[in-house]
Amino acid sequence: MSSYSSRVPSVARSLLSPCRSPLRQGPMAPLLSSFQQVRGAKSNPQAQDKKTKEKSKKVKKASREYKQRDLKDMDQFSLCDAMRYIRAFEVGREPTASKYEIHIRLKSLKDGPVIRNMLRFPHSVQTESRICVVCPAGSKHEKEARAAGAVLVGEQEVFDNVKKGIIEFDRLICHPDSLEALNRAGLGRVLGPRGLMPSVKTGTVVEDVASRVEMLRGGTVYRERDAVIRLPIGQLAFSPEQLRDNLRATIEQIRKDAAGLNDRINKEIYEVVLSSTNGPGFSLNGEFKSDDSPDAASLSGL
Amino acid sequence: MVNLFKRMRKLKTILNVRVGTGAAILPSAASATKEFPAITRLHLTYARKMYGGHQGARHFWRNCLPRLKYHNPGIQMTVKQTEEQEGPAALTIYFAGRASNAASLTAAAVEDKHAPAPESTEKTAAVDLKNLDYKEIWNKVKMMTGAQEVPTTPEEEAELQKFEQMRQQSEKDRVRIATMRQAKKDQERMLQEARGEIEKLKQL
Repeated sequence: MSSYSSRVPSVARSLLSPCRSPLRQGPMAPLLSSFQQVRGAKSNPQAQDKKTKEKSKKVKKASREYKQRDLKDMDQFSLCDAMRYIRAFEVGREPTASKYEIHIRLKSLKDGPVIRNMLRFPHSVQTESRICVVCPAGSKHEKEARAAGAVLVGEQEVFDNVKKGIIEFDRLICHPDSLEALNRAGLGRVLGPRGLMPSVKTGTVVEDVASRVEMLRGGTVYRERDAVIRLPIGQLAFSPEQLRDNLRATIEQIRKDAAGLNDRINKEIYEVVLSSTNGPGFSLNGEFKSDDSPDAASLSGL
Repeated sequence: MVNLFKRMRKLKTILNVRVGTGAAILPSAASATKEFPAITRLHLTYARKMYGGHQGARHFWRNCLPRLKYHNPGIQMTVKQTEEQEGPAALTIYFAGRASNAASLTAAAVEDKHAPAPESTEKTAAVDLKNLDYKEIWNKVKMMTGAQEVPTTPEEEAELQKFEQMRQQSEKDRVRIATMRQAKKDQERMLQEARGEIEKLKQL
């Protein structure tokens, strides 16, 4: 290798180097480039200058995106096979507590915008989520919210309870009229870490409280953190078909979200991992079943 | 998300679900014989702590049940962990139609109130698991049900051996790294002490 590169003229070498794809950053790449640099330093100082510039540029570029490894070394599974393993890992666990989870890894910039949204599954994962609504007491929104199925409605009483540490809800929605009161109450410190603080961005400060409550009762909220979207996707008793439907709905929704972000931002799905409450993560290969997976009927139920 | 290589390494442990004690196929409706009727369900009850001989039952759940479930995905398996140390540690086997002869001979009269009631077409046989090792439990279960053990393939054998080698190597490496870290720490401490002495001298 060294004898070869020393014989090739330096111009040719600099021509060769861009041939290496910047996406493929195996463990060998930095080793090689530094090695070549040393050789260049002895033979041609000008070429070395050029190269260091090139290299620093490259490093900067790489650090802006999340690292993408080549997935070809990873064992990937069809949905039925992954379910078979997961059900084996979950045997004897509390059947209502264990859930299938999905982790969707995206190709994304580190400082770019993130995906956050909610979706309704074709087959509901949670049975019911408790929703709290903050709106002026005695207004018509209060009545509507109660009618839509909110557990807790009010303004001052909610704030008092939260301050005392009694949080008996999974979602918090706020009406714009009460937003100021909510901000004055200083609950961000309590609600923020739990991801409950209402904000316009997450769509939890809305005029039409009632319809939002309806939507949230069957919906799941997700957001992208460090280029991964994690969300529960099914109960352990689900059949492979049910899980597949939910998975399809999720991926379609995320594709839509990614497309709707910005023209210049290009987000793609890079890996989909199926996991569960107690099980390891199985990278999915997109197939429904493989040749030696058991029939779908035996993979459902508890 | 966790580093890809770490995840790959971790995922290799699924080999332990495929092979080992309890990797066997229970007779199903298709493979039932006269001697060994099909198995429809399994239920395990044991207490949370090990006093009173509940340890083996818990180990059976930890070690054997995932393997059984992997090789028999259609068979329902439930586990109930109780707080009653004096209560039963029992495995209830549900046979379709009638219990096998071996099962009815070895079945003990244990009262397991947590086990779901058998349907009209099912016959149950309960095994008392108290003070039994999980391997002994597995041998009993195998004898009662006529389970066919899944033989390990040469590839799996080789892989197991590789993991064993890696485990041994990692032990060595751990010692090596620990000594290196310790040496570095000692060095730093010595430097710190030396600097402290200079400070003292300056103050004097």
